[in-house]
Amino acid sequence: MKQSSVVVDLLLLLLTISVLTTPAFSDLVLSKVERRIDVTSQFARVTKSLKVVNPGSESVSEFMLTFPKFLGNNLAYLSVKTKRPLANLSVKKADPKGIPDSISVYSVALPKTLSKGDSLTLEVVATFTNVLQPFPEKITQGEIHLVMLQESAQYLSPYTVESQSLSIKLPNARIESYSKLENTKLQGSELKYGPYKNLPPFSYSPIVVHFESKAAFAVAEKLVREIEVSHWGNVQVTEHYNVVHRGAQLKGEFSRLDFQARPNPRGVSAFRHLLARLPPRAHSIYYRDDIGNISTSEMQSDSKKTELLIEPRFPLFGGWKTFFTIGYGLPLSDFLFASEGKRFVNISFGSPMIDLVTEKIIVQVVLPEGSKDISVTTPFAVKQSQEIKYSHLDIAGRPVVVLEKNNVVPDHNQHIQVYYKFSNINLLSEPLMLISGFFVLFITCIIYTRADFSISKSSPTYLAKLQWDEVVATLQEVQSIIQKCLAAHDKLEASLRDLSRTGDIQTCKAARKSTDSLLKDLSKELKPLLAFLQSSPSASHISPKVEELVVKEKELQEKLMAKHTTVVEGYEKKSSGRDIENRIASQQQKIIALRQEIEDLLEFIDEI
Amino acid sequence: MAAKPIASPIPVALYPTLSVFTLAIGLVITAIFFIYETTSSRKNRSLGKELATSAVASVFLGFGSLFLLLASGVYV
Repeated sequence: MKQSSVVVDLLLLLLTISVLTTPAFSDLVLSKVERRIDVTSQFARVTKSLKVVNPGSESVSEFMLTFPKFLGNNLAYLSVKTKRPLANLSVKKADPKGIPDSISVYSVALPKTLSKGDSLTLEVVATFTNVLQPFPEKITQGEIHLVMLQESAQYLSPYTVESQSLSIKLPNARIESYSKLENTKLQGSELKYGPYKNLPPFSYSPIVVHFESKAAFAVAEKLVREIEVSHWGNVQVTEHYNVVHRGAQLKGEFSRLDFQARPNPRGVSAFRHLLARLPPRAHSIYYRDDIGNISTSEMQSDSKKTELLIEPRFPLFGGWKTFFTIGYGLPLSDFLFASEGKRFVNISFGSPMIDLVTEKIIVQVVLPEGSKDISVTTPFAVKQSQEIKYSHLDIAGRPVVVLEKNNVVPDHNQHIQVYYKFSNINLLSEPLMLISGFFVLFITCIIYTRADFSISKSSPTYLAKLQWDEVVATLQEVQSIIQKCLAAHDKLEASLRDLSRTGDIQTCKAARKSTDSLLKDLSKELKPLLAFLQSSPSASHISPKVEELVVKEKELQEKLMAKHTTVVEGYEKKSSGRDIENRIASQQQKIIALRQEIEDLLEFIDEI
Repeated sequence: MAAKPIASPIPVALYPTLSVFTLAIGLVITAIFFIYETTSSRKNRSLGKELATSAVASVFLGFGSLFLLLASGVYV
């Protein structure tokens, strides 16, 4: 039913075109048109090679590229090139007067004006989505997936075409039927129409091809691709997919038994796998959805690419939907470059999945905090806007460039560049924030130990605590003084050893004098501390010990002085070493014992 | 107009090692700080010593926690 109504439409179109008087166009002539249509996947990819000749006298600078409206509405990607020299030409949608409404026109700017007699070859690549209509539209699980393509065997153009041919590459499967016009040949899975010679402008002969397609009609209704750039060495890409099967809808029920029956499983129209081609050196790849991790995936990587084969939780039949998230990290130096004082991110725009058509894609490029002068260059038109995202360790938020596009096909998977300015000093703000956080913790500790949290300032426990604090402080000072005394004793002993080595009496005497004065000063300092300890009531159990310590220390001092004098006298009299040793032997023993006792007492005081 | 690739200021492979060392040093200095706090009496405490120790400790701990975050995959 639908097929015949469209054919009627096309016939009417043909009539209206032929009825209208030919408007005054530049009289270019297309001497050779070769069209190849590839319908092996879910979209139609048309490659045209047009040889344009200008037989007239005026020079021409633009060329009209036309498509019938039902194709033009579904045009996803269009690019026009010249082979020699290789150049991309700019194409704009045009609306010139005199062209009927049922034709969409694109105006191509020629690289240099085509003067009389010149010729030029244009290579046009156009991709159309939604032109392979499933027919029948609803199938059961066991049926094969048949689709229909409607096109014109002759190239619809406002110019005269001298010679043209069309070849349609069908998938390697069953071909149900095709329109048979003159010069039609079917070779294997390639359908050839033509060559047709010397046709007037706007000539059109509709054809319909009905064939089986084994391609996966996977369409992402919405794809949100977030690319987060971190100058610490990583580009993190997170993609959220909502995938639907846009082929013939499933009619009736789904039987898992039939689907997995061997040897004849039923369910050819469904697809199970999606293949994604990620850049090389992608790491930390995850594949999950709202439920959790999906483990049915495989990864293969080499130096040129990383291939990720994912299998959703269930096979997708016509009309079925699934949603999932894929994330991966990429090394920064593969994608971030510096040129002329600015930095730019060079990364692919579309989905990395092969043969996936996206109805709406939103690409968010998140740049680090402190990026300025942001601009984007894309090889095709996108809708741009800017946002702010608040993420880890952010003060003002990160700028986000949001690019939106509808009807995206794998031809759009080219690289885009996002330019911005950033100085490396801004990187320091993150560790500074962490450092100040830790510093605040330490300040809190300091304040806590110094603050007075007691509720009552006159309770006996509080007062006792205050007194005890003072006693402890005094004890520490006493300890330090005793340590200094002991150090002085050590110096004295050292001078004695020096004397035995060098025989220099004068330095020994000088050392003795200095140690004497030092010890006198220290004992003076000790007096008030001792007085305080004796007077305070809470130190009552310690002060006898402290006094004992001081007394012992004095004894040690005296004995050491005596020994020193004896040794020096011995040297002055030049008596033998053994003599000296005998004299001081007993003194030495007492000295050692006293020293030990003093150290024990010091330890005891320490432990309090 | 050659485009030079930009890499991070510190090689990414060094992040785990750096985080371990800076965190270890930071924790040791934190320990020194807390030992000083508990063994000194109220009169003998010196604010300068406390502030200096806590400043050095917080610098090392800050960098250590940053490298720890980076090494575990949270590229802040």
